[in-house]
Amino acid sequence: MSDFLQSYGFLLVTLIQAGLLGLSLYFPLMAGQLSLASPGFYALGGYVAAIMLTNPAFAGLRDTLGNGIFPLTWLAAGLLCALAGVIVGVPALRLRGIYLALATIAFIEILRVVALNLSITGGAIGIFGIPQTFGFQDRWQYLLIFGPMLLLVLAFTYMLQKSRVGRAFRAIREDELAADAMGVPPTQYKVLAFVIGAVIAGIVGSMSAPFLNTWNAKQGTFDASIAILAFVLIGGSRSMWGPVVGGALLTAVPELLRFLQDWRLVINGLVLVVASLYLPQGIVGALGKLRRSPPPSRPPVAPTTDAKGGTP
Amino acid sequence: MTASLPNSTPKTASRTVLEARNMTRRFGGLVAVNDVSFDVREGEIFGLIGPNGAGKTTLFNLMTGLTPPSSGTLTYEGRPVLGLAPHRVAALGMSRTFQNIRLFRALSALENVKIAQHTRTHAGLWRGIFGANRAEEMQVERRAWELLDLVGLSDRAGEEAGNFSYGDQRRLEIARALATEPRVLLLDEPAAGMNTSEKGSLTTFIREVRDRFDLTVMVIEHHVPLVMNLCDRVAVLNFGQLIAMGDPASVQRDPKVIEAYLGGE
Ligand SMILES: Nc1ncnc2c1ncn2[C@@H]1O[C@H](COP(=O)(O)OP(=O)(O)OP(=O)(O)O)[C@@H](O)[C@H]1O
Ligand SMILES: [Mg+2]
Repeated sequence: MSDFLQSYGFLLVTLIQAGLLGLSLYFPLMAGQLSLASPGFYALGGYVAAIMLTNPAFAGLRDTLGNGIFPLTWLAAGLLCALAGVIVGVPALRLRGIYLALATIAFIEILRVVALNLSITGGAIGIFGIPQTFGFQDRWQYLLIFGPMLLLVLAFTYMLQKSRVGRAFRAIREDELAADAMGVPPTQYKVLAFVIGAVIAGIVGSMSAPFLNTWNAKQGTFDASIAILAFVLIGGSRSMWGPVVGGALLTAVPELLRFLQDWRLVINGLVLVVASLYLPQGIVGALGKLRRSPPPSRPPVAPTTDAKGGTP
Repeated sequence: MTASLPNSTPKTASRTVLEARNMTRRFGGLVAVNDVSFDVREGEIFGLIGPNGAGKTTLFNLMTGLTPPSSGTLTYEGRPVLGLAPHRVAALGMSRTFQNIRLFRALSALENVKIAQHTRTHAGLWRGIFGANRAEEMQVERRAWELLDLVGLSDRAGEEAGNFSYGDQRRLEIARALATEPRVLLLDEPAAGMNTSEKGSLTTFIREVRDRFDLTVMVIEHHVPLVMNLCDRVAVLNFGQLIAMGDPASVQRDPKVIEAYLGGE
């Protein structure tokens, strides 16, 4: 077991990280919004953690809290990304489709340039020597935080999709104008979906900074946007399992094909092309087609039905 | 079937629920709705007819917040409606169907009807996440099934709305509009695309719905027999202007109306 973790622990954490970032992009998509902002919030969350864990200004806090500083970095990253999500989301979500995607790319670029030029983010060099979370001795131990985080986000997503808010997201994705006419306020829910994605990406960033030991402006760039988008599209954008499967697969395949050396990039490219041609709904979407979902069942009749809605 | 009952008189014959005054909407040089004023009384079925392009749908769009007006006012129960976002109009108690059906096509019939209960329910993000919305969800579910029963689609509750026939989609849209718990229901060409037998039962159906939910109904319709049977009063639009209003029989005899229809096509 520990041999396995020694060899594959790093990879496993990376797979989970990819799945989580896929989920962060999946949220706005649930409400029909193509946002590529996830890497920006990931970068922001990472900087929050890196600064809190290395900057002398926080030395007092670190001494007082001990290991408690780590959960505090997650919380701080989540809150800051929620705030940034509202600030970016409210104006950006007035745009639609590809224009929203472009605006979110601009946001990532602005963040990158700002990070390159501020001293608190370490400029071009970035921040290094970030202490390991809870004093972990080995990379695989990060499974102990990334694993529960993935489960938590999946449970959150599952419950949300079943709820009134999840229905509002789907309605907006299907037809924003009809949703509005049927009483669902689109702007409010689009911003909510965007902010949830931002918070997830931010927390993943804050967990990743110690994992990678160093954080700089190369984290969370435009390339990452496209990679994460591919996770979701290949995995399937209509089920929460899509981003997880896509993220894990697209991260694992290139690693497992390492023995093929340069050919692996070819194989990887082929996987992308074939999947997008033959599985337009993604892998999970295609699997879902095979499994017929049972017809919905009627709830038991209520003892008292109100006069307006009751069956006569 | 009671399709040919005489027109029922509204229960309260006088109270005004909707008051439109000088409603106007321009698209560039075109005045799609031109200085239109009318009152709609509680409980009546109010028909809106007119040649193609007369501005009927635009008037509904103005009334439901989908298109901002150029000028004019509309009050519902004394409250201003124009300028509100569509979801606010829905919350006020006005709901509609669309001429070019706008169901959530990839979602099930059941879900279409559940979604439209949004303004009448309250569970926010956290109550949903922690499953503290059970009672409300049960209520939403029950109500959705009842509405599907009403339109005869509960056997196909799980099917994607986009797969339904025209007639079924129209009825599902009515169920969805009713799910917002409106007091005023606006139907834009509910018979379009329906077959003859579906058209035949539509009159009875709309009356039943009006009675059961205590509604005031406005209906745009081209199908003349339907309008004559169904409506208590009819207004006629032509080139954006209201050219006649009154009971169906007298409107049908009005020379201006005959002229508009003959001159129009
Ligand atoms: N968004 C818009 N932009 C520009 N012109 C518009 C717009 N919407 C409607 N119009 C124009 O306004 C006029 C009225 O259109 P409207 O759809 O309200 O007519 P209608 O009475 O519903 O016709 P129909 O019986 O064919 O449904 C038409 O000339 C139409 O082309
Ligand atoms: Mg029309």
